[in-house]
Amino acid sequence: MKQFQYTRPSTQQMALDAISKPGAKIIAGGTNLVDLMKRGVTAPDKLVDINHLPLKNITPTHTGLHIGSLALNSVVSENELVLQKFPLLSMALKAGASPQLRNMATVGGNMMQRTRCTYFYDTTMPCNKREPGTGCGAMEGFNRMHAIFGTSNQCIAVNPSDMCVGLAALDAVVIIAGRKGERRIPFTEFHRLPEDHPEIDNHLAKDELIIGVEIPDNNFAKNSYYLKVRDRQSYAFALVSVAAALDIDNGVIKKARLAMGGVAHKPWRLFDAEKWLIGKPISEENFKQAAQMAMAGAKGYEYNSFKLNLAPATINEALKHAAGLV
Amino acid sequence: MSDKKPCKSPDNEVLSGESRREFLKKSTLLTAIALTPGVAVKAAEGQWDEKLAGVFEKMLLHVEVNGVKHSLMVEPRVTLLDLLREQLDLTGTKKGCDHGQCGACTVHVDGHRVNSCLTLGVMVNDKKITTIEGLAKGDQLHPMQEAFLKHDGFQCGYCTPGQIMSAVACIREGHANSEGEIREYMSGNICRCGAYPNIVNAIQEVKDGGQTV
Amino acid sequence: MKDSAINKEGLSRIDGRLKVTGAARYSAEYTPAGMVYGVLVGSTITKGSIRSIDTKAAEKAPGVLAVISHFNCPKIPGYQIASTEAGKPEPKGTYKLFYNNKILFNGQPIAVVVADTFERALFAATLVKAQYTSQAYQTSLKNNTASAFAAGENGESKRGTVAAWKTAPVKLEQEYVIPSEVHNPMELHSIIAHWDAEDKLTVWDKTQGVKDTQDGIANIFKIPKENIQVNSKFVGGAFGSALQVWPHEVAAIIAARVVKRPVKLMLGRADMFTSVGYRPHTWQKIGIGATEDGKLVGISHEAIGQTSTYEDFNEEPVSVSRSTYACPNVNTNYKLTALDIGSPTWMRGPGEATGAFALESALDELSYALNIDPIELRLKNYAETDPESGKPFSSKYLNEAYKMGADHIGWTDRSPKPASVTKDGWLIGYGMGGGMFGAYRDQATCRAVMIADGTLLLQTAVSDIGPGTGTAMVSIAAEIMDIPAGKIRFEMGDSSLPYAPSQGGSSITATVGSAVNDACKELKEKFSQLAGNTETPDYTKILKDHNLSKLEVTTASKGGDNMNKYAMYSWSVHFVKVCVHPTTGVVKVDKVVCVADSGHIVSPKTARSQIVGGAIGGIGMALMEEVIIDHRYGKLVNNNFADYHIPVNADIPQIEALFINKPDPYINPMGAKGMGEIALIGMAGAVANAVYNATGKRIRQLPITPDKLIGINQSAMVNGS
Repeated sequence: MKQFQYTRPSTQQMALDAISKPGAKIIAGGTNLVDLMKRGVTAPDKLVDINHLPLKNITPTHTGLHIGSLALNSVVSENELVLQKFPLLSMALKAGASPQLRNMATVGGNMMQRTRCTYFYDTTMPCNKREPGTGCGAMEGFNRMHAIFGTSNQCIAVNPSDMCVGLAALDAVVIIAGRKGERRIPFTEFHRLPEDHPEIDNHLAKDELIIGVEIPDNNFAKNSYYLKVRDRQSYAFALVSVAAALDIDNGVIKKARLAMGGVAHKPWRLFDAEKWLIGKPISEENFKQAAQMAMAGAKGYEYNSFKLNLAPATINEALKHAAGLV
Repeated sequence: MSDKKPCKSPDNEVLSGESRREFLKKSTLLTAIALTPGVAVKAAEGQWDEKLAGVFEKMLLHVEVNGVKHSLMVEPRVTLLDLLREQLDLTGTKKGCDHGQCGACTVHVDGHRVNSCLTLGVMVNDKKITTIEGLAKGDQLHPMQEAFLKHDGFQCGYCTPGQIMSAVACIREGHANSEGEIREYMSGNICRCGAYPNIVNAIQEVKDGGQTV
Repeated sequence: MKDSAINKEGLSRIDGRLKVTGAARYSAEYTPAGMVYGVLVGSTITKGSIRSIDTKAAEKAPGVLAVISHFNCPKIPGYQIASTEAGKPEPKGTYKLFYNNKILFNGQPIAVVVADTFERALFAATLVKAQYTSQAYQTSLKNNTASAFAAGENGESKRGTVAAWKTAPVKLEQEYVIPSEVHNPMELHSIIAHWDAEDKLTVWDKTQGVKDTQDGIANIFKIPKENIQVNSKFVGGAFGSALQVWPHEVAAIIAARVVKRPVKLMLGRADMFTSVGYRPHTWQKIGIGATEDGKLVGISHEAIGQTSTYEDFNEEPVSVSRSTYACPNVNTNYKLTALDIGSPTWMRGPGEATGAFALESALDELSYALNIDPIELRLKNYAETDPESGKPFSSKYLNEAYKMGADHIGWTDRSPKPASVTKDGWLIGYGMGGGMFGAYRDQATCRAVMIADGTLLLQTAVSDIGPGTGTAMVSIAAEIMDIPAGKIRFEMGDSSLPYAPSQGGSSITATVGSAVNDACKELKEKFSQLAGNTETPDYTKILKDHNLSKLEVTTASKGGDNMNKYAMYSWSVHFVKVCVHPTTGVVKVDKVVCVADSGHIVSPKTARSQIVGGAIGGIGMALMEEVIIDHRYGKLVNNNFADYHIPVNADIPQIEALFINKPDPYINPMGAKGMGEIALIGMAGAVANAVYNATGKRIRQLPITPDKLIGINQSAMVNGS
């Protein structure tokens, strides 16, 4: 790791000023950034430690719940309001990383974490995300962990987050501060697909700061489930994960939310399947149909084609759990 | 909480890189004036600038480790793990992967378990660190240490400090209510010798014993 | 006065307190005055040669003391001697570090950077840039089996009629594949090297044998071995990875010589995948045939394992088929394929673990073909004498182990029909598999000193990589001397102590334990003579009466003729219950019972942990461990713990470790046989067999990850079970 400067701004304005400088990067929990710096994937000249900003709050709003971007993953996952209103988010958080890492990682940092694609991490390998124009090592390489949706001919990496899958399903909104003020964007539009610029993971500008997320109130608390399929029982990234949330009235689905992890460059919302489920009775038959519908446009590569079967199976299982059929 | 405490002065929080380079320019100039040319040449060859740079790329860190207060000059790139092992000779905290993938480096920062390999030393300024060396009270072992001995919760012992720090936190967090919960909440600590069942038994005993951890 | 604990639960680890308090120091945890840090630079190409190395930027970086590569490396005497022998091709063996410009595998160290701090050394290492001339390379075993060559002189073996299995009424032939697996002890391989004088060296080194490391370094640097002090007081696991002097150790020793200061060199986790060996990727094919009532007619077992271009690593995976079951006709064939990858090395249960996966899977397949219970099939072919040598076994109680294990796992709950049992939406299956490993007794020497205050000091140069060697030795000594374990001090991990072999091959309790046994008996006898043949000597009183400050013996001990008269083996049998999710393919190990037939159990508490640990290693082998190489680049793509999975706590249920605990009458005075290897051998087969029983899907290529089982049982899902 090369030498770098380190600053500890105490106000949001100072932080915004600091991060707008060339070569500056924000550090919060550091669980991903320090790792990337150790591997030489990124080498900032200056780290702006934002941990002293007052962004750790978890507070109810008129329409939902506000979670500060510096709230720790562990704290959010155990928060009473989160457990009561949005247990899906708690489940997703607990499915990610390890207790120690969740004690360090923040909500904002989790949203900013980069792909775990091995070609991205290995600086001797080609990777358009790390070094645009060098090619994609994974496309014809070892792509077992890679995307089946929304890939481009530049990149087939996946977003590794579990939390983000939960937040995408829950219609969260991201609150972003810039030097010109705040803006809000739907969570599902925060991350982007690789297209021709896989080096850009999301729509946050360099001089902007995530200050929080807001989750609107809903009726999913009773019937939601996060199912993560991985190579070992814990502390592993998802092969496929599914966040499923249902609003059920008398055995009939009023609303549904579905999002998948481990399948795309961003948390993958299944809007069509959600829509189709409205008005349908809860049944495995219907869940399977919804799952099949969700697979439209999926494309497998040499080592990850199993996801074409695993994804619908996981959707079905997650829905069964959410609906209380398991 | 640290975020309640205002930073002393936003400007002198760190000696920035810019000011470091400024200083170097000045110091080189001053050195050149003060010393004979021969010495100045030697200074350049001896990379004195870089040695000076080393000093000024360090930051002052106040940290309390196992109840002992330290004021240290550290490079921002030094991890808490390397700081403990290489500078404070607290080698009980282990390096198993250096990338947050094994948990051998687990320590408590203000009472919470974290991976010290992914924590920069400068980020624990004004915080309290507890390592395995700080767990026992003199000769009296912590109940978790006793339980690990009794249940043989280790073989080679290398992951053990991390396991024990994690195990103590696991109970404190309230995540030791069943065997299944313990296994899940101890999964951030890899043991290659395979002592997992014994570790679970040790934690259950401490939990059921109701001792203060 | 004995500790009552010794014979029941067994002693707690004598070094446990040091380990739970963080006071145990491993090889990287010493700080000789003036110590600096070495960091290796690895080749970024897979095969070819180095044209140039630009070290300028690294040399100018703050704190850097030296950058050493083959361009400026001092001549290493041992390398020169080996290579100048009569113009013959260089003998195969571990490659020579910084010897020439040849690149033999990706990640091969091409330089070492030494700096005053770890961070500076690490950063400067990134500044070293090499120019290479790259050559075509081969890293795929699958694509290169045609170039396989016989593994040593015993590559081929025949007993009875070749291919007799084909004539059997019930027969099958299948291929089984294991990927490369990496030892990955939690402690990173580390060394601190310090030249005390021009020809005098001290190292703190991670090694399974301080004496072998001393010899190895002496051979490489051509200095008298008495001048080399090797310290390895605590070893954070190894599983075979620390049985030889690796190039990174040579690098640190050279660096220390160049900078004239102690140098610490700790490998990174990624280096652990390329620099200290691994269990080799191996393809196997078994043909097996039996009569309709389940008597084996013949077995054919072929294997091709990968090795490096510079070393023929031979671990004989096929031997299990010759020795495990009574079978008149067995032919085996073992070949190696040389690839442009670093050398494999011994890894826990070397050879046998690989072979047993294939053999125990094939036996299981045969049991279904015959419709005979897998245990019954094994009992029908139970070897009463060693099928290979015809010699009697020194002891064998495997049949009791089968029964004990079956009782404890609840074998009667197993359905002989695959994919027929479900619970809470999961498919349930049971499987079993056995392991065997030669029981050896090597030679060792122990010094035993009774000190005036009643403390017994035992000294021998063994290392303990984790099983609890010191604890076992103290248990043996306490029993013989009839004193509390707390009065015994065991010193080891120091090359200045009396000879003990490296800790490997499950032979240390038998070997060093015998030396401890013999030394203690001799010492006790000496006391008895002094006191005039008292039954239980009062040591302190006798010393005092004779005005002695201490009484000591140094006793060498080795096995006798019995090792030739008898076939000596340890056996294990593993029973596993798994739950498999029918649609996502997730496998959960629900219950494990392991039974070891390894003679008298000297140290029950640590022995139990050793069996449990081996079983968990086997679960990793079965379900998740796999080295993956991108053959386009000849490089590992999962050289870290996030991508190379080893079991975590959540993967592991309670594991019952049971012992037959009957002494072997011939192997050594304690009647103890080894158990480190058999703890793992056979486990992967047991898991695979349980997965088959649960799902009806036979996975013959490890690891059994969800993708291999996904959707396999659509019918189970459709039927809603």
